[in-house]
Amino acid sequence: MNTRGPRQLLAEVQQPGLCIGCGSCVELCPYFRSHGGKTVMLHDCDLPEGRCHAWCPKTELDLENLAQELWGAPYSSRGMGPHLAVVAAKAGPRLEAGSYQAGGTVSALVCAALEQGLVQGAILTGGRGLDTAPTLATTLEEVTACAGSKFTAAPTLAALNRAQAQGCGPLAVVATPCQATALAQRRAKPWPQRGAAGPVELVIGLFCNWSLDPQGLASFLAQRVELDSIRSMDIPPPPAGVLQVQTTDGSLEIPLDDIRDLIPTACAICPDMTSEWADLSVGMYEGRPGWNTLVVRNEKARALTEAAVEAGWLVVEEFPQANKEHLVFAAQGKRSRNLGAALAQGLLGVSGEEQPKALRVSPELYQVVESGEVA
Amino acid sequence: MQGQRRTMMGNQAITQGALEAGVRVAAGYPGTPSSEIIQNLAGAADEHGLYVEWSINEKVSLEVAAAASLAGLRSLCAMKQNGVNVASDFLLHLAGSGIRAGMVLVHCDDPGALSSVNEGESRHFARMLELPQLEPSDFQEAKDMTKWAFELSEEIGNVVMLRSVTRLSHASGGVVPGPIPQAQGKARFDHHGTLLDKGHGPVSSSPVTYKHRLQQEKLARAVELFEDSPFNSYVGPEAPELLVITSSICNLYVKEALALLGAADRVGVLKLGTTWPLPPKLLQRNLERCGQVLVVEEVIPFLEENVKIAAAEMAGEIGAKRFFGKRDGTIPAQGELNPDIVLGALASILDIAYQARPEEYDRLAQELSPQATQDRELAFCPGCPHRASFWSLKEALALDARDGFICGDIGCYSLAMRPTGFGMLKTLHAMGSGAGMASGFGQLGRFGMDQPVMAVSGDSTFYHAVIPALINAVHQKSPMSLVVLDNSGTAMTGFQPHPGTEANALGQSVPPVDIEAICRSLGAEVTVCDPFDLEATQAAALALLADQATAKVLILRQLCALSPQRKGAKPYEMRVDPEKCLGDQCGCNRLCTRVFGCPGLAWEKQSGKARIDEVICAGCGVCASVCPQGAIIKSERA
Repeated sequence: MNTRGPRQLLAEVQQPGLCIGCGSCVELCPYFRSHGGKTVMLHDCDLPEGRCHAWCPKTELDLENLAQELWGAPYSSRGMGPHLAVVAAKAGPRLEAGSYQAGGTVSALVCAALEQGLVQGAILTGGRGLDTAPTLATTLEEVTACAGSKFTAAPTLAALNRAQAQGCGPLAVVATPCQATALAQRRAKPWPQRGAAGPVELVIGLFCNWSLDPQGLASFLAQRVELDSIRSMDIPPPPAGVLQVQTTDGSLEIPLDDIRDLIPTACAICPDMTSEWADLSVGMYEGRPGWNTLVVRNEKARALTEAAVEAGWLVVEEFPQANKEHLVFAAQGKRSRNLGAALAQGLLGVSGEEQPKALRVSPELYQVVESGEVA
Repeated sequence: MQGQRRTMMGNQAITQGALEAGVRVAAGYPGTPSSEIIQNLAGAADEHGLYVEWSINEKVSLEVAAAASLAGLRSLCAMKQNGVNVASDFLLHLAGSGIRAGMVLVHCDDPGALSSVNEGESRHFARMLELPQLEPSDFQEAKDMTKWAFELSEEIGNVVMLRSVTRLSHASGGVVPGPIPQAQGKARFDHHGTLLDKGHGPVSSSPVTYKHRLQQEKLARAVELFEDSPFNSYVGPEAPELLVITSSICNLYVKEALALLGAADRVGVLKLGTTWPLPPKLLQRNLERCGQVLVVEEVIPFLEENVKIAAAEMAGEIGAKRFFGKRDGTIPAQGELNPDIVLGALASILDIAYQARPEEYDRLAQELSPQATQDRELAFCPGCPHRASFWSLKEALALDARDGFICGDIGCYSLAMRPTGFGMLKTLHAMGSGAGMASGFGQLGRFGMDQPVMAVSGDSTFYHAVIPALINAVHQKSPMSLVVLDNSGTAMTGFQPHPGTEANALGQSVPPVDIEAICRSLGAEVTVCDPFDLEATQAAALALLADQATAKVLILRQLCALSPQRKGAKPYEMRVDPEKCLGDQCGCNRLCTRVFGCPGLAWEKQSGKARIDEVICAGCGVCASVCPQGAIIKSERA
């Protein structure tokens, strides 16, 4: 499985700037910690194999192997990952209006899962302004307190590792594609020496095109606003093309072109836009403010969605076919661009090779990427 | 006890000599190998009516001793080799002004740097500042020469320098003590005469050229006395093949080497006790004996160069000589000497086939030593607060992730250059230099340097030389952080009191000078933390690193593990729960024994678990916070 140790993790992920700071390796052990948006190693660890390396989404991510293990199907260059349905969704009457961003679908699903007893808690990304605080929420109030989008990478999975060490579970995790990928690595490469399967029962994935480097964004914004005055941020659907920053004094719009340099290298090799490895995926609904796109990927997800609707947490409507085609087109576009970028940087390989690689695909897909014929 | 031969440590012999000379005031700053001199005199203070102090630094100690001399009391000042550098500015001026009652500066060099971060040569100060230099070569001489040094000082009216080395100060030998006189005489500083009246006028090195001439006349008078000094002696045949000129403890090495070689009848040894200025007549008499000269001394070729200058000046009378020594590589110019090294030099010059250490011996020693002795790194003691402090500083600098670093300073914590302190110190020089260098590094942001800088200082070092550096950093707005590792005593040299302690060298109660209040009064932001609280210390260190606007101070206060104030008590009973210990598994990988590295923690290979070594453990409880599993359990002792 090409699992190596923490020293190799540093060499393969940290040093080349591929660490996205998802928190997968953080607080699994005393060595890796997250601070100010960066994952750092406090002390040297010389283990030849470790969970930090095995579960990292940015090294030895064997997409073909993961797809076979978790989906029972090959990893395809097309589509947006397995799913049963795509629907339009928004929070129902049970969720207090104004307490969520966009459609509030994520908060609604988490509340429903908690109320149903499907999970005992949820790993969320809280924090005000630029701050990202990995959080274990166990009450509905704690869930809504975390509502709102973050546009910087966050070490959310550190909270999962902490909760697991304390014996919490079963848990839901609201994850970006990189975080959902790290959780898929966990399922595919369990670590039986350190106990049974983890406590993750439900993964609610988020759509993501790219994120922003937390320290980079902080220095960028510090030149324009008082950082302490930032209340929230949003990127409205195209064609707006801006990052809106709400401060206690008003709001500020920053053209996305001005902040593209703050996108971490790690995002440029990510093939996943819709959190394909999650149970459900949620994103914005272009052209319909106040609504989300909800991708229901498996039976568990379908059951939760239905229960959430029934309990009044969620409202769903049909999602137009044209919009779905547009979504698939965008997902394929990201996959194609970024597998190509990985290949160009020498980071793409095929399963079974010795040489360390960030990403692996089947030899067939590798050829497709090499020929530039990806969708 | 008087008259009976006793075994004394070199520093004790020096103390005895000073007492026999009727010393009344002594001052110094602790520094190996000199510390026991002031310590012993403090112990004798009550009985003999002395005033003894541990001064804030060497310069002040010399000033304190000089004051006594000017008031008519014999005084002694003691320090280690580099202490003379600190005191040298005052010493230069004092040498110019001259003194009144006998005053001796004992300076103890540390060849091989056994307890130093330098092997500085302090004899050069005698030549540079034009003061007489004495060097005892054994324990009896250490006592006798110290006593005589006071007489010499009074005879010439200037300070006399007396140099010891580690192997004399810290080794022991036979000494016959003499009587100690009753303390007498009232202290009084007479200053009503004219500026030129050396006995009654104001004391200064000015008018300079006049006083300088007087100083040189004093030195010339010393040379006259040196010509007949019993501390210089020649042993050997009238016309030897080789003349060895040596001083200090090296005389013993030479004696031993000659005895082993059986070459005493071929080699003459001129042992010099008065090494600056050299007495020319004595030198000429001995240089005339033969054509070959070997100079045996430690560290820098001080004696060798002075002998060569003298030999050149008298070349018309004695002819050209062939010299062996450090300049031609016969004797190494670094590290300590020993009889083997001297033996090698003599054997090669005399063409005697003799191997000091046969190859077979070395081979056997290498073969056997791993079984006989365990290879050990120098390490912080079990329960040392410094280990905990550097652990938190290391984590804070790692979390900060800007490749920040720490400028080190002088004390036990200098060991943090090594693995025991996680290699955290990246510069290490003189007392107070950590803060001074950090003040400088802090200014380099304007040139693109984006690494944060910290300095560490012990409490004693803080008073000694850090305060000016901190004032500089505050005044120049240098964004550095000073971490004062306050273990409440001069731990490294044996818990001598310092201005922060509540008792002085004489055991009298004195007002402690508050480091925190000093720092605040300078305008520095100050945080105080217990280094055993790892979480709070890490947070405090991170806060320092985050604020890059000004100079800041973090005081990490926790009593040294060996402090007499602890009375050997263990605050906590420690144990490892083997059920919880993860050992070398992923999730821990022996963090406590492999990384934290307290000697009180042992790794049980067989069970794959950590264990507390109860004999060694000091019960500080810190490892309970280090363990990621909560497997190390601390319980309050009943």
